[in-house]
Amino acid sequence: MYAIITISIVAIIVLFFGAFGKKKMILPVIFVGLPLAFIVNLMGWNQSIHYFNEMYIDDNFTIAFNGLLLFIALLIFVFAPVYYKSVKRPLEDIYALILFSLVGGLMMTAFGNLVMLFLGIETLSLSLYLLAGSKKSDPRSNEAAMKYFLTGSFASGFLLFGIALLYGACGSFNLEDIKLYVIQNQANIPAMFSIGLLLMAVGLAFKVGAAPFHFWIPDVYEGSPTLITTYMATVGKVAAFAAFFRLINSSFGDVDFLWKTSLIVFAVATILIGNFAALYQDSVKRMMAYSGVAHAGYMLIAIIALKGNAAGVLLLYSVSYSIATITAFAVLMMVRKETGSFSIKSFNGLAKHNPTVAFAMTIAMLSLAGIPPLIGFSAKYQLFVSAIEQGQLPLVIIAIVGSMVSVYYYLRPVVAMYFTRSIESTPFEAAKLYKKQILFVALLLIILSFIPGLIINLI
Amino acid sequence: MGSASLIVLLIIAIAFAVVAVYIGRIFGTSSTNSVKGEPYECGIETKGETWVQFHIGYYLFALLFLVFDVEIVFLFPWATVIRELGVVALVEIFFFTLFLFLGLLYAYKKKALSWM
Amino acid sequence: MVMESFSFMQSISFLLLLFPLLGFLAIGLFQKQLNKKLSGIIASAFVFLNLILTFILFWYVSTTNQSVETNLFDWIKFANISIPFAITVDRLSALMLLVVNGVGFLIHVYSIGYMKGDDGVNRFFSYMNLFIFFMLILVLSSNYLMLFIGWEGVGLCSYLLIGFWYKDHANNNAAKKAFIMNRIGDLGFLIGIFMMFHTFGTLNISEVATKVSLMPSGSTALLVITFGLFAGAIGKSAQIPLFTWLPDAMAGPTPVSALIHAATMVTAGVYLVARSSVLFVLSPVTMNFILIIGIFTALISGLIAIYQNDIKKILAYSTVSQLGFMFMALGLGSFSGAMFHLTTHAFFKALLFLAAGSVIHALNQEQDIRKMGGLRKKIPFTFALFAVGAIAISGIPPFAGFFSKEMILSVAYEHGMGMGIIATFISLLTTVYMFRLLFVAFYKPESDAVKTNHHIHESPKVMLIPMAVLALLSMVAGFVQIPALFSTNVNVFENYLSPIFLTAQQLVPASGQNLTVLTEWLTLLIPLTIIAILVYMSYVRFAKDRLPSELSGIQKVMANKFYVDEIYDFCFVKPTEKLSLFFRETVDQSIINRLINSIGNSTLYVGGRIRLLQTGNVGFYLIIMVFSIIAILFFNLIR
Repeated sequence: MYAIITISIVAIIVLFFGAFGKKKMILPVIFVGLPLAFIVNLMGWNQSIHYFNEMYIDDNFTIAFNGLLLFIALLIFVFAPVYYKSVKRPLEDIYALILFSLVGGLMMTAFGNLVMLFLGIETLSLSLYLLAGSKKSDPRSNEAAMKYFLTGSFASGFLLFGIALLYGACGSFNLEDIKLYVIQNQANIPAMFSIGLLLMAVGLAFKVGAAPFHFWIPDVYEGSPTLITTYMATVGKVAAFAAFFRLINSSFGDVDFLWKTSLIVFAVATILIGNFAALYQDSVKRMMAYSGVAHAGYMLIAIIALKGNAAGVLLLYSVSYSIATITAFAVLMMVRKETGSFSIKSFNGLAKHNPTVAFAMTIAMLSLAGIPPLIGFSAKYQLFVSAIEQGQLPLVIIAIVGSMVSVYYYLRPVVAMYFTRSIESTPFEAAKLYKKQILFVALLLIILSFIPGLIINLI
Repeated sequence: MGSASLIVLLIIAIAFAVVAVYIGRIFGTSSTNSVKGEPYECGIETKGETWVQFHIGYYLFALLFLVFDVEIVFLFPWATVIRELGVVALVEIFFFTLFLFLGLLYAYKKKALSWM
Repeated sequence: MVMESFSFMQSISFLLLLFPLLGFLAIGLFQKQLNKKLSGIIASAFVFLNLILTFILFWYVSTTNQSVETNLFDWIKFANISIPFAITVDRLSALMLLVVNGVGFLIHVYSIGYMKGDDGVNRFFSYMNLFIFFMLILVLSSNYLMLFIGWEGVGLCSYLLIGFWYKDHANNNAAKKAFIMNRIGDLGFLIGIFMMFHTFGTLNISEVATKVSLMPSGSTALLVITFGLFAGAIGKSAQIPLFTWLPDAMAGPTPVSALIHAATMVTAGVYLVARSSVLFVLSPVTMNFILIIGIFTALISGLIAIYQNDIKKILAYSTVSQLGFMFMALGLGSFSGAMFHLTTHAFFKALLFLAAGSVIHALNQEQDIRKMGGLRKKIPFTFALFAVGAIAISGIPPFAGFFSKEMILSVAYEHGMGMGIIATFISLLTTVYMFRLLFVAFYKPESDAVKTNHHIHESPKVMLIPMAVLALLSMVAGFVQIPALFSTNVNVFENYLSPIFLTAQQLVPASGQNLTVLTEWLTLLIPLTIIAILVYMSYVRFAKDRLPSELSGIQKVMANKFYVDEIYDFCFVKPTEKLSLFFRETVDQSIINRLINSIGNSTLYVGGRIRLLQTGNVGFYLIIMVFSIIAILFFNLIR
């Protein structure tokens, strides 16, 4: 709760510093505000406080995921000054929008009420629509914003419709009340209830980017400015998954026959489509977009395998996915800045002249592919184990096949960096700007690889 | 609800659409002329650009207006229950309007209110 | 997860791991930026901090007889398997801590002088700290899996440091040889661990020991487990048949040879067997096997050492021989004896290596003893320190080697007169090759190389002082455990370790017959007399300027290390190469490759099709969404 207040205030302060032309103050405020929010977020640990008639629940799940979201946002802001180095204007609107969308994300992990969920999703999404189009001079950015807005509002419509139907069936927005209703009417669930639930699942599946509602992801991720793409792919996805998990976990665990089959179909389709479509991409940015789709499929498995320690597994997976994705996109930003292209060819020979960056990229790719001993492996492993314990062996087999396929495209940039000669051999100028930050994130990834047990047992 | 009836309904619906389209194809004669390609087959022909562009400023004003419109919508029900809710509600509405005011201030500072 | 609060001792044991890791990260990450003079000081400082912590812990476990167990976090946890990242400091690991951190610290300090001016000095010290880190994991771990991680980690550091001067191809080959030969043993170790988990359902060392002690002696499962563990020990501690890597490992810098390949890492095998004493005593077949391997290794490598000319190789074969001696003690059931010899050996072998390093340093990287001679006068301090080491290792009283060897020899004699004589013979071999080395290098008239070299100089103080400390330890360390013959009251060492080996000793009580006082005196005095004669004979034979005589048949075999490398090459390397050629040409290229490629190609084809779904048209996307929603509702409501 206090994190939301802190971030909102920071965002407003940022806006006004921008409006009054105090450009130099903006980033310091953010770099003080985000850690502050992170600390106040931790205050309610092990307390489970409910706010506003159970609209907002501050339990350990909330705090862990909000901590992750705040941390990811902080990491992304680390790259903001270098990404926007050549832009002269204060950029307070972009930073403020990122912070406002973060507020939406923080609400999504903590909602105790469907209205709050919708409010969070819309706060996150509306800001992201604008951010996707924040590079006004680039037609692709505009196109991305338009596509995102059209498909996103379409999906929000379904979500809202689902919420309305659920309200019609149960007479309450409150998750606890809905759970009570489910327990009482387990034998004869009305069609209105199941349609409402399915439509909500569809809306959330869209937000997490699960097939067959993933179509916006490649186009929007590719068109948006890379920093924003990173933000969408990490904060947006993690928040949506936390919301999805909380929704299913707190209210619909007892009626899994209503949603389980559909989610399994989603997961299978997402894993297969994401991984297979990524194979042929020549743009690394688009490849990362499809990789995001594929990972959404894996994370859906955590929701399907709800019993057991699924929340911890989801947290571990979110951590591993987010940090590795940030590393990869950061390297991508750097390469793009130097070569002006996202294509896999621009990675050629990177290891020769920028070994540190190439190393970071390799670590990120290997972690995403799930190669031991990196954290990506432990995350996938724990995920599959918990799914098998819930009797989802066929699903896990498909997921493993998907993982095997994914190794091909994750290794393509690595092969390009290490085994293909480049025409140029001078070190990248941009590397000077990015190197330290990239190395920092990559080291974080390596350090986290040693403590998967710590993360998984957090909640 | 039986599945058979729904499937039958689906088949009938598809068949109806397909049959309707194809009946037209079969019985109608087709011809092309210049008038047919025009947007309006009747009335006055359009002159100049059909896509009229409004000044972007309209949208800005409309958006800002909308914000305060919604504020009023929110203030009315608040006003009816303020006595029951007490001081807390007063403080909360103060913050609510404060944030809106800050938004207005930002818009003013960014020169969104001056007509270009 | 709830963080439990740690007690003072627990925090200390955790810091033990943290300091060297910090050192590794600090030096490793800022390799290029860090001043070359600073890295050695930083690395030594971290190990020094460790040493202080070790003293505190050692004081604690030796006064209270409690072990400090720290459960840092759950490392692997799923289903019913839970492997915590936990460390245990008991009396055995505290002893090893003393050896690792004590000798480690002295060698770090020595390296500051030895590695001065080398380009990769920062890299060197980062690896050294990493080695300490992994060695501590090995020693402190409270389960076999973590022990294995440390085991592999020190193997990695050994590999990195043997090939430290990687520009020379021979060094790389030596590093690879060490790495691969260790893998063979590690395979056995892993099988042992798997089998252990299969049998007991846990890898926790103390839990395994408790469960084992209820089992009957000599079961098949125990046999497999102990053979597996011992296979690992064979690889790591360079026993027959995997001992050839250790002499080659001398390609690394000399401090590395002293730390890793003499004092600490190679003794890990002994530590492993001592740590698992309960398992081993209940498997008498394995114990006999260890005894035989130990005897043969000690004997063969002792014989080889006599005919080597490279100063470091002699010491390397001597290490192999001493390790064999320790395994012999383990095989006889004298775990404390083996640990005692491990400790004293760490002191005097590290001293010998450091002194050899000092000689090599003085002679500009000359390692051939035939090109030395007369160094006694040129570098007197080094000579004195080397002599202390040589006397200590030969088992001449009152230096440390005498006491530790005596402890093992007395067990051997109790086991039987034949065993005693074999053990005595092995220990006498030490005298021969050590004094040959000493006399040839330091006493013999100066060789031409020495005469023409005017740069021979004594090493700086930073190298001499650590050696002096080690020399002091080599002199006095033995007095904690005086043979029963002189005094029955001074068994500090045995008493110190007795709680650790209590269970093992209760399960299988020592069966040896007690010797009469007269026999004991004889077994003590006769070897000492022979040692004296041998020293004199070597003086006559080697200290005088005599032309080396032609080697006779058997001597040639020994000088050529029993042709073991060649035999391995013929028996294992060549057939493996042939087999792998067959697999590459036939099986891989024409069968597997084609299969794999077709799988890959079809995958790519599917990818190419799926990609086409992404048309870029929003209307199309929305229509697919709508159709999907209809399908979902349809299939969920119709059932």
